[in-house]
Amino acid sequence: MKIAYRHLVQHIEECPSIEHISNKLFQLGHEHEIDGDIFDMEFTPNRGDCLSINGLLRDLAVFYTVDLNQEVFTEKLNELQLDFENLSKNTCPKISFLKLEIDQVPETYKNSLDNYFTDLGLNKNNFFTDVSNYLSYETGQPTHCYDASSMGGKLLFHEIEKNEEFETLLDKKIILKGKNSVFSLNDNIINLAGIVGGKSTSCSADTKTVIVECAFFQPEAIIGKSIKYDIQSDASHKFERGVDPECHEKVLRRFIKLVSEHANIKEMSIISYKFKDNPIHQLPVNVQKINQIIGINISEKKYLKHLSKLGFVVKEDLIKVPSFRSDIKTQNDLAEEVARAIGYDNISKLDISIPKNEKTNYKDIENKLRFFLLDHGFYEVINSPFVSLSSEEAIKVDNPLDSNREYLRTNITNSLVENLLFNERRQKDSIKLFEISDIYSSHNGINKKRMLSIIASGRVGENYKDFSKKINKKYLIMLFQEILPNEVFDFKIISRELLDTKIKNEIFTLEVDISRFSNEILSYKEVSQSPENFAKYTPISDLPSSIKDISYSIKDYSKTQELQDLLLNYQCDIIKNIYIFDYFKNEKQKEIKIGFRFIFQSNKATLNSAEIELVYNDIVSKSLNISGISIPGI
Amino acid sequence: MPDHKDITPPELIKERGSLHPINHMKDSIMELLISFGFEIVDGPEIETEEFNFDMLNIKKSHPARQMHDTFYVENKSNLLRTHTSPVQIRGMLEKKPPLAFISGGKVYRKDDDATHLPMFHQVEGIYVDKNVNFAQLKDLIYKIIHSLFGDDVKLRFRPSYFPFTEPSAEVDILSKEGKWLEILGCGLVNPVVLENCNIDSEKYSGLAFGLGIERIAMLKHEVTDIRQFYKSNLDFLSQFK
Repeated sequence: MKIAYRHLVQHIEECPSIEHISNKLFQLGHEHEIDGDIFDMEFTPNRGDCLSINGLLRDLAVFYTVDLNQEVFTEKLNELQLDFENLSKNTCPKISFLKLEIDQVPETYKNSLDNYFTDLGLNKNNFFTDVSNYLSYETGQPTHCYDASSMGGKLLFHEIEKNEEFETLLDKKIILKGKNSVFSLNDNIINLAGIVGGKSTSCSADTKTVIVECAFFQPEAIIGKSIKYDIQSDASHKFERGVDPECHEKVLRRFIKLVSEHANIKEMSIISYKFKDNPIHQLPVNVQKINQIIGINISEKKYLKHLSKLGFVVKEDLIKVPSFRSDIKTQNDLAEEVARAIGYDNISKLDISIPKNEKTNYKDIENKLRFFLLDHGFYEVINSPFVSLSSEEAIKVDNPLDSNREYLRTNITNSLVENLLFNERRQKDSIKLFEISDIYSSHNGINKKRMLSIIASGRVGENYKDFSKKINKKYLIMLFQEILPNEVFDFKIISRELLDTKIKNEIFTLEVDISRFSNEILSYKEVSQSPENFAKYTPISDLPSSIKDISYSIKDYSKTQELQDLLLNYQCDIIKNIYIFDYFKNEKQKEIKIGFRFIFQSNKATLNSAEIELVYNDIVSKSLNISGISIPGI
Repeated sequence: MPDHKDITPPELIKERGSLHPINHMKDSIMELLISFGFEIVDGPEIETEEFNFDMLNIKKSHPARQMHDTFYVENKSNLLRTHTSPVQIRGMLEKKPPLAFISGGKVYRKDDDATHLPMFHQVEGIYVDKNVNFAQLKDLIYKIIHSLFGDDVKLRFRPSYFPFTEPSAEVDILSKEGKWLEILGCGLVNPVVLENCNIDSEKYSGLAFGLGIERIAMLKHEVTDIRQFYKSNLDFLSQFK
């Protein structure tokens, strides 16, 4: 909600700066941004009472001297004769109507009404609607204006539960579905209560006689309707969060005053209906409890002073909660009011000491497995559980984000296959992944299993011993025998026939219930450790990479280290990785063969062959400067 | 010529994998909280409305319950938990105070953009004992934040609203760029919630807090797009060893 600084400050005696008010708003818990002289406010859902100038001033009154008494029409009003019936008194326990007739529609606006449109850069509509909108901004109470000339007949407030078309005053046709609270005139719906009025009775630029409706609707009857019908109205936003049920007369008298500042009023009359009393909340004065909740030592006098500034009335050891604060029900609520007035940041810390529990062996087996897999080059992944149907036992999501993924997965393996293909498309030739996750299925109720799934394909590793070895079942079985020599795991091969890939490497998977792993695994001594620091992420490239291999023949063994130092530390923006993929010492030939792999990739653009050749030639040239080294074929 | 026998082969670098950065962050926070005295409790990701909402004082009319915010399953008979708080409810129903629980794991909400995902991770904690107060909650939050971001980091407490805590607060830290960044939500357990769990709210009070793991991981690792965490890209994952 946007609120202009000058609309607030004109009611504050101390005339604080915008920054000063901003700091106080944060202290009160009212998040906002400042754009020029405008506060863009974001209120928590329990503070519907703050959605107006007066609402915000009521809260700021804890810090400043504020004047909330805008001028109202004070003279006696005639009773309006209206044929109205309320068939849903629980939803609308209070409602008032005001009828006004003016001699001429004003062409220009004055005072606060003019400032409202000018300062907030808002578009005008028609005179009565404009007054209504401003009044909602000033008081927080939405009102609805009907053109009185279209209001002949019986007006009914009731709940309907049938499909019916309704044309809003915004020229939008909607189909009302399910249960809705509406106003009807002669059996035609003219207003979707608390959300938006209808076109047939709306005011126009020519309207001179208006019927203003001022109501209290239970928030439960309004919540969800604006989203359901895709109508974001100021009224629905306020009614959803709760308005002051006791403000009607003051608001309507203010309406008259604003109109009278712009036009001569020929006739006016009012009628108020009270179908149910608004419950009055009272809480006992208990400063000890407040001090105990917050952990402070405030005097009763100071405590009550804070509350009285916020509109609470203290009488005979009872605190009467103001009608606009429907969120206050307990001593904890009052404690929050006091804490806000003091400022959360001004409340001193008190040392906390939680009794120590004995160390829990929480997920020790699972963690051991994770580090065992890390030791063998596996990367941990986390996947979304939402999938297309994978099993008859899959649990269906009633309201999926993506209609192609409306089930919960019944296995992890399929997610890992997607991860593998994703990385293969990024030219990865050694892929080892694992995921541990809960898996849910529906068979005689909802069943949960905690599963480990692994997937592996391609080279065993990228060092010169593992480079030429391909991952196979034997490798994986031997791997797991290291931790569980007596267990046999059923590694599966995933066929590539139905996968969108041309790569031929076999894909091995294993999916196993964590409960199958015994405490035997706890004796495994892991090498990997949790990182001590949180590494800064370097943006990765989605552009294709290129590979260049260079194989050297070294006759002078002493030069081997020099060559490694040169190449493994070679710096270049477009080289992503360098490693030794081949090493062989030929005793007969008295020669070392050593192969280096260079992976080229840029973050900016796809590399062309000339860019790669330039770097490649530099590497070759620098390495051949080392005596006793040659590149066969060059 | 040098002695050929003296030559040592190049270092055989055995590639290690890495923990997922989100799990690493979650584990780090859980370990920190265990060191403060908290005990880990676990619970299901598929929950009932009773545990996810009712017991936590979230009204039937609360917008969070709507189909556009919460994933429902099996004809609305259950839902995907929207926070890890129901785990604490289960813990409070099982044990008597004093109690100090933490729960961590996946939670689900109907969001999907550069800073929100339908699945994300939370760690939440609750401590219920006699005379637990807001000033002690502040002390605990300072300890958590200083452990995570260093003793020099500035933080501020702002009043907020959660149906299950009263008073409620959100805590921001001041970034190097001078911007306040929201880090966690916390508060004193609403007495209604304690009573729902058969805990005498006249005798006991409690504090509770919750952290979004992705949010903290994004700050610590300087990742700007939350979706990077879940692409399973080896170039990304290999940076967090």
